Amino acid sequence: MWDLWPEDLEWQPMSRRLRTVWVLRSLLNVLILAVVAAVPLTIWLGWDGLLWALGGYVVLAGLRVLTVTRLVATWGYAEREEDLLVRHGLLTRRLSIVPYGRIQLIDLSAGPIERMFGLTTVQVRTAALGSTTEVPGLDPPVASALRDRLAVRAAEVREGL
Amino acid sequence: MSDAHPHTGPTGEEPAPPPAPQPFGPEVSQPSAALPTGVPRQRLHPLTPLLESFRFFAAVLAAAGIQVFTSRNFVFPIILAVVAAVAGGVASLIALQYRGFVIWGRELHIFGGVFTRSHRTVPLDRLQSVDLARPLRARLFGLAQLNIEVAGGDGTDARLAYLKVDRALGLRAELLAIAGRPVTPTAAPVAAAGSEAPVEEAAGPAPMVPPIPVRKLALASLLEALPVQVTALVLLGTAFAVTGAIFGFSTVATTLWVGFFAPALLGYLQSTVSAVNKFLRNCRFRLARDGGSLLIERGLTDTSHETVPVDRVTAVCFDEPVLWRSRGWRRVEVWTAAVAQQGGAGLARSTTMLPVGEPDQVALVAAEAVPELASRFEVRLPPRRARWRMPLRWKKTGAILEEQVFVVRNGLLVNTYTALPYARIQSVRVVQGPLQRLQGLASVYAMTAGGVGNVATARHREAHEAVAMAAELRRRADAAAALETPRLA
Repeated sequence: MWDLWPEDLEWQPMSRRLRTVWVLRSLLNVLILAVVAAVPLTIWLGWDGLLWALGGYVVLAGLRVLTVTRLVATWGYAEREEDLLVRHGLLTRRLSIVPYGRIQLIDLSAGPIERMFGLTTVQVRTAALGSTTEVPGLDPPVASALRDRLAVRAAEVREGL
Repeated sequence: MSDAHPHTGPTGEEPAPPPAPQPFGPEVSQPSAALPTGVPRQRLHPLTPLLESFRFFAAVLAAAGIQVFTSRNFVFPIILAVVAAVAGGVASLIALQYRGFVIWGRELHIFGGVFTRSHRTVPLDRLQSVDLARPLRARLFGLAQLNIEVAGGDGTDARLAYLKVDRALGLRAELLAIAGRPVTPTAAPVAAAGSEAPVEEAAGPAPMVPPIPVRKLALASLLEALPVQVTALVLLGTAFAVTGAIFGFSTVATTLWVGFFAPALLGYLQSTVSAVNKFLRNCRFRLARDGGSLLIERGLTDTSHETVPVDRVTAVCFDEPVLWRSRGWRRVEVWTAAVAQQGGAGLARSTTMLPVGEPDQVALVAAEAVPELASRFEVRLPPRRARWRMPLRWKKTGAILEEQVFVVRNGLLVNTYTALPYARIQSVRVVQGPLQRLQGLASVYAMTAGGVGNVATARHREAHEAVAMAAELRRRADAAAALETPRLA
């Protein structure tokens, strides 16, 4: 869908470490699931239950890692003259277009795992409620540079509500 | 805000300006720290605490009544009434000491609370609108409240309750004047006249559309509610019959049934009540133009005045309930940038400009809300292969890029055309779900400032058309925004 855009766009990829972070996070989530599932399985099947849980974990984690890897590859952003484009999504594909002139707030944030790997998320808000646009997993210098560029452009082309 | 601490002496030595006889220059604007300890506060009406705790008094009355009715005990209710009256009176007197407001330069300060003191500062520069509302209980005593809206999201609005109606109207004019949006002289008398007679057709700016007869409004409300009511009743009835046939109509089964379907019943009741409420609120509807804003006055039991600045209109909606079509009636609503309307944020995401109207009235009101806006649009249907995804709605869905507005059409029972001026579009989004991807479709969302629901959606367009539409929307939005001067809130 994204290559249908009438003009040529230079999509900027996210940091390479974003994949690592998200893979780790999904492994952790699946692990929690496996531990929770292991208890009834063990009660039901005896010690074989643990093996089942482990097997389930490996299979699920493998699938999850595959999808997350592909998901990360779909993220991208492009800066144009007047607006910022962000694309993402594997099953449901999304393309958000935020004009610089309508930007109200720009947030930088980093969660604990993201911080460990030195990543930052840029969030852009407009006056429309529920239209927060996120650019996750940028290297901190790239993120703050993006923030500064956005802020400067937002101040230059101020448009109303 | 402008200047921070220009010449702040000790607060007491600062000569207090009189409470705003006319607009002050910005240089009078004081930081709120230096504020109004010395300035006399303007009081609210003495009946205010009484009205605010009307639920409590109603409960006391009910309790007393039950006592009289059940135990023929007349002493207890009298004691109860006396105690409640004394306690209420004393509490009111104390509460009144701490409540009030001050207009200081270009700020409005509102004080309140006995145990927890509150002090709210409203910068009048950012004033969006001042609405006069008259709940039934206040109307009994000839009182009104002012709802003050400031630009931005929820929780920023302030309320002055209760005031005598003419004082409230005077204050409203004063606040608007300080905010730099004076009410035209013709409007002030209306305002004053509004206190006595609720019906004044002649006074003030002439209404743009003739008053809607109650019978027409009632018929319109009925026709709008009918499909929902019939569907709900048929569904509930069928469910009742089916369960009855299976389990028999014993008391136990019926009780169980009611318990099981209680949520559905509640939802049905709620929709009925809200339909009736809507009718009551739209009675005696009056729309007038006053300079750059539209004045709306409406309500049978609760009269409310609303002001919609025309340059804050972010979209115009034309609603057409199914059963109105044969009569050619439509309703006009507008979205505005202010979220916090009366009745809580998010609930009222639009303001009614015309509860029901003939085509020519609809055209008139539309052109008034957004200059030169047409009221009929030819939208383009989504491709035929999207039809099975919305078999009933397919024919009533569409989108088109008009000269100055983006128009989308949606809805089955209430079909709505939403016209979004390009200059008001905040951000654009294209979304393609998994099924849509198989079919080569995508949906376009154009968002405007304000509530969560203020999004124009063009569903199931051709994927390349959707992306091209988004690109074109952005191009036109920039072009349109460049034409107007920046309007910061």
